[in-house]
Amino acid sequence: MEFNREFDASGMSCPGPVMRVQELLGGMQSGEVLRVITTDPGSIDDMATLAEASGHALLKHASENSKFVFYLRRA
Amino acid sequence: MTDMAHPAALVTWGGFVLALVFGAVANKSNFCIMGAISDVVNMGHWGRVRMWMLAVAVAIIGASLLQLSGLVDLSRSLYPRPTLPWLSLIVGGLCFGFGMTLAGGCANKNLIRLGGGSLRSLVVLVFVGISGYMTLKGLFGQWRATLLDPVSIDLAAFGLASASLPVLLARLTGLPASTALMVTAATISLALLAFVFRDARFRRNRLQVASSVILGLVIVGGWYLTGHLGYGENRETLETVYFATNSRTLESLSFVAPTAYSLELLMLWTDKSLRVTFGITSAAGVVLGSLAAAVATRRFRWEGFASLEDLCNQLVGAMLMGFGGVTAVGCTIGQGLSGLSTLALGSLLAVTGIIVGSWIAMQWLKRRL
Repeated sequence: MEFNREFDASGMSCPGPVMRVQELLGGMQSGEVLRVITTDPGSIDDMATLAEASGHALLKHASENSKFVFYLRRA
Repeated sequence: MTDMAHPAALVTWGGFVLALVFGAVANKSNFCIMGAISDVVNMGHWGRVRMWMLAVAVAIIGASLLQLSGLVDLSRSLYPRPTLPWLSLIVGGLCFGFGMTLAGGCANKNLIRLGGGSLRSLVVLVFVGISGYMTLKGLFGQWRATLLDPVSIDLAAFGLASASLPVLLARLTGLPASTALMVTAATISLALLAFVFRDARFRRNRLQVASSVILGLVIVGGWYLTGHLGYGENRETLETVYFATNSRTLESLSFVAPTAYSLELLMLWTDKSLRVTFGITSAAGVVLGSLAAAVATRRFRWEGFASLEDLCNQLVGAMLMGFGGVTAVGCTIGQGLSGLSTLALGSLLAVTGIIVGSWIAMQWLKRRL
């Protein structure tokens, strides 16, 4: 999946990744996609909640090599 | 098994089973009070706060019914005692709230994560236990006992038998104690239920609704177990006692001091004065309940520390949680569910401290990110 920007939050614990992702999405253009990599299992629920609360679309999430990868499209 | 041992065994095994349910449900529903605060502060999302408030409402209703029916005497628990150590409750709450945010979750969340395969949480819990034990009986305990606990208000001097909202209402209005309890419990729980179910999305989320009700009922179950089934005469001393609790009074779920007592028991196993208690088995029960849920839902996953910074944050957070959880007489579950279910004034102070501490930590984290 293509993306405009990437953020590697490996090593960050909840609530760090979601706080930073929200800030990054705020600085992107509508329709742009942010790829996020995390190691915290709590980020699975956090990213879904972020999408629900903010209107950004969680396009895809997957587990890759013991990391979690998310694609979020800016609302 | 002797007659005397029977209530103790009932309390410890009962605590284990209750906590097993608590751990499984909390894992499955992603119940997390730090996460709930974070959702509101960072995203304006109130879903998990509604979960927490629904569990509190159920716990208040259940605990009040137990009290009104005479099955337990909640005024004898740690939370509504007439001497209100307000500075300890506030400072402890602030430390706990700040610590749990640094550590990515409270003591309960780390027990749940441990069940899900997080060895990082195992290290966090060891440090919570060490810090908690130091605050119970060690260096931090000396600071707590000399600097914080003496700063208190003796509400007995104002005619209050215990530091709880119903007793305060009875004192101010002259209502009988049972009526004041009914009025207070009904008013607060109905207000919470109205807030919780006002949101259509939450009403439709059956997992979150059912989970919150179960978590609240587990707290009520803890009070019934230690306060009724575990209350009786010790055949050796002929004293009436609460069996198998570390506080020597009735308890429901709480996880900081029990983590410390679990470490103590493991390290001093041959000391025959030490016993397995409700708190110790409930801490173990949460881990195993969470493990069962993680395996059943295929979410079990080994996890370690990802970086040196992560390790530092977790250890500092764990030490703050251990100190804060003991100083505030409870954690997010101990004060945030069990304590609030007794309608204790001290629990309101401690929970406010936890929320504010967590908020301060989030503002600090935002600046660092």
